[in-house]
Parts: sequence; structure tokens; C-alpha cells
Amino acid sequence: MKTDDLIAHLSGDLAPAPPHYVGRVLAMGLGLGFLLSAILMLMAMGPRPDLALAMAGGAFWMKLAYTLSFAGLGLWLVERLGRSDASARKPTLLLLVPVILLLVVAVVQFMAPGVNRHQLVMGDSWRVCAIDILTLSVPVFVTVFWALRKLAPTRLTLAGAGAGLLAGAAGASVYAFHCVEYTAPFILIWYTTGIAAAALIGAGISRWALRW
Amino acid sequence: MIAAEAQYRDWMLAGLGGDRTAYSRLLAQLSGHLRAYFARRVGADAEDLVQETLIAIHTKRATYDPALPFTAWVHGIARYKLIDAFRRNKRRATVPLEDAPELFAHDEAEAAAARRDVEKLLAKLPPQKRDLVRAVKLEGHSIAEEAKARGVSETVVKVTVHRALKSLGQELGGHSEN
Repeated sequence: MKTDDLIAHLSGDLAPAPPHYVGRVLAMGLGLGFLLSAILMLMAMGPRPDLALAMAGGAFWMKLAYTLSFAGLGLWLVERLGRSDASARKPTLLLLVPVILLLVVAVVQFMAPGVNRHQLVMGDSWRVCAIDILTLSVPVFVTVFWALRKLAPTRLTLAGAGAGLLAGAAGASVYAFHCVEYTAPFILIWYTTGIAAAALIGAGISRWALRW
Repeated sequence: MIAAEAQYRDWMLAGLGGDRTAYSRLLAQLSGHLRAYFARRVGADAEDLVQETLIAIHTKRATYDPALPFTAWVHGIARYKLIDAFRRNKRRATVPLEDAPELFAHDEAEAAAARRDVEKLLAKLPPQKRDLVRAVKLEGHSIAEEAKARGVSETVVKVTVHRALKSLGQELGGHSEN
């Protein structure tokens, strides 16, 4: 086909572009991913038995705020990296903020006199925490990568890392309703490990998962 | 800022609203930029990449953020398609870092802008001199031809053109001696 014919063809059946396309595609992907992840958690792990009690205290919300802040920044990252040539510098730098805030709390808890430091860091579930987060992130991986493929990511490795971060953070947010750990050092180490691993996996699979 | 940015962005926004005329104009202009861009990088396969990129621009058009430069958006897609082609052909997949101006540097649109500049400059000459300069220097008529057409000697034509160019040179602040 000649290029002029192609141009005539492309502009011939031109329909108005859907407004807020990027936001709607991502919202759909992330919403569906959260839903599937929550169903997976309820079926495979179950919510923590003392959920109502935990929601009355601060530790639960600190944990959720930590994971949701990553989810928010991950969504921002994907929204930027899903467009050709948009800069993702700001959300990338902001990733440090929740880490630093939680680090301060973790140090305070760790330094407090008379605490069981081993318990503070390892809790009762350090062996499964990161793995469970990755498991719960799988549905979000699928839906977010599906959404991102509909956009125009041109730096695939970065976009994959952002999408992996988003999936990991969403999985961790869902996991927070199952996990009974409540100390800042535990969350800082094991939740961050789970989310970071998801980001690395996202970067690793980006070449074939995001190619368009 | 790339000279054509504002115009292309306008066309793009009109195209996103469903304006077919603006949109096909935009694609036609972009295909010129893309052809030059790919020809310098892949040679014979350039036209395939031009078409592939035009299709990508079309199918991904809803992802353009009007708050960002349109030319940079197009460049990002063109560069992505280039790298993708290199990967497909198992060629070394490094494309030097470059900015969008690279894509919009060499092509017909740039030449058109240059022509506009020349016309602006010529407008400063009196009408008779302007016509003569345009005929001899831009349209490629010979001095003999013009002398005959105007019923003056060739020397007069030569001197008139020379003086006109010299005054334009001074206008530009340079020292044009031919």
C-alpha cells in the first residue's frame, strides 16, 4: 500500500478519540485487578480474624497507607510511562517519601527500650510475606499489563517496572487485610521486598509483555 | 521549541476531535519527517517503518497528552518503532540519544519555512528588483533571458541583481558580496 493511500485510509474513517482514554483504561485495569486479587485473598488465605479490631488501631492503617502510597505512585508512573515520551521523574523520586517516613517509625520502634527486636523485624510470617504479596499481585499484573498494552509505552523496561510496582503495591494492599503483622520494621523490610520484587519482575517481562 | 509544534499540535487536537482534513494534513506532514528520519537510519526499509509509525500514531492517538509537546510524542513513537525494527532484525539495538528536533530537522517543512523567510526578505525590495531577483536567483532564469524579456542590457540586469542582494545582505547585518 502506498503511504498516501494509507493516510487517506487512516483519516477517512476517523472517529473522535475517546476523552480521558488513558485514565479510563488504567482505572479499569487496576479496578479489575484489585477485585480479582481480593477474591484470591479471600479464597486462598482469608481475612485476618481480628480485622475489625485491627481497623480500630493505628498499625493497620500505617501498613495500608504504606502500600497504597506505592499503589498511587505506581499508577502515576504507569500513567506517565504509558504515553510516549512523558517524563516519570517526579513519581519516581516521590517513591522515596513513604520509605523514609516508615524508616523513621521503624528506627523509633527498634530503638525503644525493652523490645524484642527479633520479633519486631521477623514477626511470625516473614517467610511467607513477600511470596504472598507476589501471589496476590498476579491478577493485577495481568490486568495492568493488559491496560498498559493499550497505551503507548516507548521505554518498555521502565514502564514494566512501573506496572510491576503498581501490581505489587496492589497485591500488598490486599495482603494487608490478611496479614497480622503490625510493626514498622517488619512492614518496611518484608512488604518493601515483595513490592520491589514485583517491580523487578515487571521490568524483566516487559520486553515481550509490553511490545506493541 | 520546534517551529512546527504549534501547527501540528493544533491539527492533532482537531484530529482528536474528529476533523479529518486537519488530521490527514498532519499525517501527510509527519510522513515527510518520518521518511527522512528513517531513510537516514535504515535505508531501503524506511517506507515500511514510515507506514508502521503512521499506523501507531493513529491507533495510539488517544494517549497523546495535550499538556505535553506533540513533536516529542511523535518522536517517542518513531524512535520506539526504529528500535523495535532493529530488534526484529537482530541488529545492534542502540539508537543514539537524541531529541525530537532530530526528527523534525531535515525535511520539506523546514524547506518551506526557509522559503517563507526568503519571501519575507524579498518583500523589502522594490517590486521591479524583487521580480528580477526571484527570476534569476530563485526560479533559475538566465540573465540573458531576463534582459531580453525586460528590454534592457544584460549588464543592467547583472548590476541590479547584485545591488539588490547586497542591500539584502546589509539588511541581514551580514556582508553578502555576491
